[in-house]
Amino acid sequence: MAEFEPKVVAFVCNWCTYAGADLTGTSRMKYATNVRMIRLPCTGRIDFMLLLQAFGHGADGIIVSGCHPGDCHYSAGNFHARRRWMLFRELLDFAGIDLRRVHFSWVSAAEGAKWAELVNDVVNQVRALGPYDEFPKRLNRQSLEQLCSVEVGR
Amino acid sequence: MPRIGVFICHCGENISGTVDCAEVAKVSAEFPGVVHSVDYKYMCSDPGQNLIKNAIQEKKLTGVVVAACSPRMHEPTFRRACAEGGLNPFLCEMANLREHCSWVHEKLPATTEKAIDLVRIMVEKVKRNRPLFSINVPVTKTALVLGGGIAGIQAALDIANAGHKVIMVERQASIGGHMAQLSETFPTLDCSQCILTPRMVEVAQHPNITLYTYAELEKLDGFIGNFRAVIRKKAKSIDEKLCTGCGVCFQKCPNKKILSEFNTHLGTRTAIYVPFPQAVPNKPVIDREHCMYFQKGKCRICEKFCPTKAIRFDQQDELIEVNVGAVVAATGYEVKDTDFFPEYGYGKYPDIITGLQFERLASASGPTGGVIKRPSDGRIPETIAFIACAGSRDPAKGISYCSKICCMYTAKHAMLYKHKVHQGKAYVFYMDIRAGGKMYEEFVRRTIEEDEVHYVRGRVSRIYDRDGKLVVRGVDTLLNAKPIEIEADMVVLATAMVAQPDAEELAQKMKVSYDENKFLSEAHPKLRPVEMNTAGIFVAGACQAPKDIPETVAQASAAASKVAGLFSKDELSREPVVAVVSRTGPPEFSNCVGCFLCESACPYQAIEHEEIKTRDGKLIKTVAKINQGVCQGCGTCVALCRTKSIDLQGFTNEQIFAELVSL
Amino acid sequence: MNELQQTAKDLLEKNAVAVVIGYGMGSEPSLRRAVFVRKPDQAPQLIFDESCRQNLAFYVLKPEVKALGKAAVVARTPTLRTLLQLATENQITDESVVALPVGNGSVQPLTNFAAIEQYLANVPRGFTAQEQQELAAIKSKTLADRWAFWKSELSRCIKCYACRAACPMCYCSKCIVEVNQPQWVPVPSDMLGNLEWNVIRAMHLAGRCISCGSCADACPAHIRIDLLNQLLATEAMQQFGAEPGLSVRKDYALATFKPTDKEEFIR
Repeated sequence: MAEFEPKVVAFVCNWCTYAGADLTGTSRMKYATNVRMIRLPCTGRIDFMLLLQAFGHGADGIIVSGCHPGDCHYSAGNFHARRRWMLFRELLDFAGIDLRRVHFSWVSAAEGAKWAELVNDVVNQVRALGPYDEFPKRLNRQSLEQLCSVEVGR
Repeated sequence: MPRIGVFICHCGENISGTVDCAEVAKVSAEFPGVVHSVDYKYMCSDPGQNLIKNAIQEKKLTGVVVAACSPRMHEPTFRRACAEGGLNPFLCEMANLREHCSWVHEKLPATTEKAIDLVRIMVEKVKRNRPLFSINVPVTKTALVLGGGIAGIQAALDIANAGHKVIMVERQASIGGHMAQLSETFPTLDCSQCILTPRMVEVAQHPNITLYTYAELEKLDGFIGNFRAVIRKKAKSIDEKLCTGCGVCFQKCPNKKILSEFNTHLGTRTAIYVPFPQAVPNKPVIDREHCMYFQKGKCRICEKFCPTKAIRFDQQDELIEVNVGAVVAATGYEVKDTDFFPEYGYGKYPDIITGLQFERLASASGPTGGVIKRPSDGRIPETIAFIACAGSRDPAKGISYCSKICCMYTAKHAMLYKHKVHQGKAYVFYMDIRAGGKMYEEFVRRTIEEDEVHYVRGRVSRIYDRDGKLVVRGVDTLLNAKPIEIEADMVVLATAMVAQPDAEELAQKMKVSYDENKFLSEAHPKLRPVEMNTAGIFVAGACQAPKDIPETVAQASAAASKVAGLFSKDELSREPVVAVVSRTGPPEFSNCVGCFLCESACPYQAIEHEEIKTRDGKLIKTVAKINQGVCQGCGTCVALCRTKSIDLQGFTNEQIFAELVSL
Repeated sequence: MNELQQTAKDLLEKNAVAVVIGYGMGSEPSLRRAVFVRKPDQAPQLIFDESCRQNLAFYVLKPEVKALGKAAVVARTPTLRTLLQLATENQITDESVVALPVGNGSVQPLTNFAAIEQYLANVPRGFTAQEQQELAAIKSKTLADRWAFWKSELSRCIKCYACRAACPMCYCSKCIVEVNQPQWVPVPSDMLGNLEWNVIRAMHLAGRCISCGSCADACPAHIRIDLLNQLLATEAMQQFGAEPGLSVRKDYALATFKPTDKEEFIR
């Protein structure tokens, strides 16, 4: 049987970590293919509910990453985010959700190597933990299409 | 139904080297809603862009996903192409197949699988994109300059010379600020007033500048391009239109013993006064706290002698409301007084003075006519000690920063002293000599080498009086930390440069941030040094951090150029990536419950209160409203909002949710 | 008449308030229910004893109650804190409510927020030793046991939202569970929906919950959801010094920050 390949979702801010991951690319550093990035303007935009959704939609691990304190493009979004994460982590831990599946990091636009290292590290850890089957999953994708309305304009 | 077009770029071999682009295009074509899917060698090239434009027309696309390089690289390119093809540019998204996939993974099936996932994520997002339009905000082309020191003067003149209106507010009776108090300036030793006063006059006479002296900012609200300021014009007790500035009033005023602020308490002034002879405007004000009429109810001598009958004892403070498009904060600094230093006698020795006081003693127009005299007995000091870093770089005193100008002005003071008192002995106690600047180091060397000022590296631990001499005890760290004791006639402390005592209050009025030392904070320490985090408010001079005159002037001109840039268009155009508060039909009108917890989370104070009223004006509820001119689109409020009444255009909950669903 | 009844009667007689919201006898001797006293002679209906646990503050937000006019609320300490927190969140205005503090000596009407603030300054607060022990007991379980515990607890949740209905801080006109574009919380009361609902609810109350315990009292399945709130209230207190409902100052812990906030969990 093939080794289990975890699915890791990364919520990143546009200005530091997304740019840092761009630098990883321009520097041609290699890392695991398991990560899928969700680009947001700022870590302040990252709703804790999105993290729950990621698990509900089949993520085995989560990375949340943004600008180092003091570097926020919006001056304070990451500070607000940090407070939310503190409480959210405590709550997850209290509820028996394994924090080894949720990783928080600051990766600046200059830390391409750190990004590669972070992804590899998280993927390895989550691979060792195995699939997150314990976490209840959403219904199949088709019915969700209906739940999540589509609006189109021109 | 959505009609999405997917365009996979090979980027030469940058992407196709490890990703099977044809396969990605083939699989993408099967995604629900995708009606067109192609791959091409160079999507950003003209033929590549034409592929997109033509497909928009031919396939009637409602959304476009370009799977190529990082959106931080080419998102503007492809959005422009879409706009040219007739599609709203915000209906175009990019999947990052290069930086985030092909360049960071080996040529393996998993790499192509990831590329397919990245496209699917963006297809699901773009299906939920909505057309967005750039936000236009009208701009009032008048700038408010707070502070009439050299920073404010430079900024005001530059803005006014660019053709825009300026309102300058100065709290003292005259503009000029600290620079007007200085004797000569380093490193050229040109006379401060000689270079400053023409600028002051220019401000007063400039057709584009309205000057309010003896006035302060009372209130500021609004946002970039559209501020509303209330200025308190304190009662000067004279009719400025009638007053000719003849000066009879202050010659006749009987109360002549008031310590002059301009002369740093080393000289005196009258109760009706102009701060200094070259004051602009050169018209007096009555200091009501010291005026005998205001204090004791009789006198009115000035009124009797005034040839134009300009005295107005019953004048009230006046509140003036102005509309401005930008604000430049140039409110300057203060220096610590000698009473801040217990080790130097808590200010009890009159012959221990501050650097600013020394400036007045050295000034030809100062209280001593430029002769260096001891405040206690008027004797010329034969030995003088200068102490740099008095308070600065001393975390124990709560001032950990370097005041930056002291090394230079101390060298200048010592040099001026030696020029005036040839036989005198001058000592400078210092920690380090920081003389970074054009001709600065050379200037200090001249002080040491040509003017033979004794530089002693070490801190002064104590100063005390011994038989009429000030004993300065310190240590010479360059001589094996040997204790050193000097009997001086006068000591000059280069006291720390600190924020104005009401800097915090001003910052709160303007809703801008400030640091732990109460200096105003720039938006970015490197790349946005003259902007503040509230759009439309700029900063210049020492209210931001200690700095010398050239730096202040440079920063003021920079702030002015920012203002001129802002005023160069009638409307301000912004990317529509901003937060919006949703509205629904009656009876709720909005899911916002008006808790306003988001208000303090917003880094830009962009959240306002909006009252929803019935047709006859009855208040139904108060909800949050985002000022789109101010919002920068970080989305911190969106994550905080419990009812999800706030959403972020371009990164909506539905869009992000759909991205997760497609995982 | 006791002091509470007399105070209520006086307020109604003087027309200082239109209604007194308090506790009355329920359908069984052990039960209490909310009563709305609008006439002075009904004041004797009001009782207060150890069984009166419901947080009555949330009635003041109800349109039906608002329509009556100014209300006085019989208020235990959590109720007083709720009033201040509601004021902080712009839900009630100063002098729109009179609080009748009970369970702590004399019933002296508190007619404005400043008076409530002052009253609360002298009232002991914090979780009881028993409450702290309960929390610690769960924390000391292994990760797997905690998961098992909550899985079993939450499996009983029928998503009736009685917790929400009883909570005075759950005043949103459209709760997140009713937001369906996107549908954040799955509708069915399955494990995912139950977990998400309770986690979201706890997060939404973090830094705002005044720990009255009404949610757990209201839960028909006897799920200890109050422990989730207690955990976050304790954390918010320890990490940020958050003590909601002690003043009308706008100091919501999650809408502010300190550059020095702890971050050893961030790499």
